Amino acid sequence: MKPRFHLDLDRSEPWCTPAPSGRLSPFATAVVSGNHHGDVLERRGSPVPDSGDLLGGDTDEDMTGGLRQRAQGEVAGDGVSRSPRRGLQKYLSRFDDAMRLRGQIASVKTSQDSSSEPEELDSFRLFRVFGSIVLAVAVRVFVCKYLSIFAPFLTLQLAYMGLYKYFPKTEKKKKTTVLTAALLLSGIPAEVINRSMDTYSKMGDVFTDLCVYFFTFILCHEILLLFGSEIP
Amino acid sequence: MAAGYAWFLVLGSVLLCNLVKTLLPTISSFLSKVFQKDAEQEMEMRIEIQGMKQELSSISMMDEFARYARLERKINKMTDKLKTHVKSRTAQQAKIKWVVNIVYYVLQAALMISLIWKYYADPVTVLPSKWIAPLERLVAFPSGVPGGVGITTWLVVCNKVVAIVLQAVG
Repeated sequence: MKPRFHLDLDRSEPWCTPAPSGRLSPFATAVVSGNHHGDVLERRGSPVPDSGDLLGGDTDEDMTGGLRQRAQGEVAGDGVSRSPRRGLQKYLSRFDDAMRLRGQIASVKTSQDSSSEPEELDSFRLFRVFGSIVLAVAVRVFVCKYLSIFAPFLTLQLAYMGLYKYFPKTEKKKKTTVLTAALLLSGIPAEVINRSMDTYSKMGDVFTDLCVYFFTFILCHEILLLFGSEIP
Repeated sequence: MAAGYAWFLVLGSVLLCNLVKTLLPTISSFLSKVFQKDAEQEMEMRIEIQGMKQELSSISMMDEFARYARLERKINKMTDKLKTHVKSRTAQQAKIKWVVNIVYYVLQAALMISLIWKYYADPVTVLPSKWIAPLERLVAFPSGVPGGVGITTWLVVCNKVVAIVLQAVG
């Protein structure tokens, strides 16, 4: 059984710092705690008593103006200092994600080397294969003299799209490969990756059906030729 | 034009390749046993260690400390020797597995290339071209015969179908 590990591809913003649940790297925690400490110091102000304090009430207005200016300056300074901090946190979270992905991929790769198994044939896949075989036989016997063999196949695929919802849906764990990890790290949203992977898997299913259909058709044709039937 | 049973020959080759692929681990382990000369020695060492451990459990450490310590040292020495032996055997097995895989893939590639070379210009089978419209050219590649099924298309189809069949059977 192929080991699967869950990577949080459902996150719409993959590069948000996972504050409540994700584990932070030691660097991130140190930076965050250091910056927090710095913030506290800045908000408290400098330890040296201001000259306004010594002069008394005459300089109250100056003080409030100064305080306002200082507050604005602090906000501006905080804004300036927060953006590099945010960038650093973003970088560290990406680094952390990259290291985690690397470890997971390494563990999956070793287990994949030992046992490489294809996907299981669930009921819908079996139904598709069986339907393709039956249709190929029917088309060879009855239909092929009237139209192209690919037309009934396309009709069958459209029918499968409609019938899909009537089959029990198997829980397919999202398989994370080196490609998806690289795409994630390069900044492509996880939703886009998921949709692309779904599309590719559906295209793969259609290709499988086509191969089974064509193979069965050719086999029927050759068997009929062997038994001496005339080409219609 | 197409030989009568070219399609069957290609199908048989693909089936054979896939069957051999499933048997590769068995072949590797068989060859490991053939090339492994001192398998009995390892078994003897294991039995000896087992015997010494049983003897050790029967000796009281308080009463016969010297004998106990001597026997324990002997067990440790034998265990280290066994570990080294197992390590070299495992490395040899990995090497044999690697060689078997390489040989298989080379032979498979050679077979596929020879089939493509043989049926490059001839289709494996021929159908009325209107049956496979509008994909006649793609299906006939590289033979170019109208209505023919080219070797590449047939190889791809056979590979896929054989993989599904073996997966269902396995």
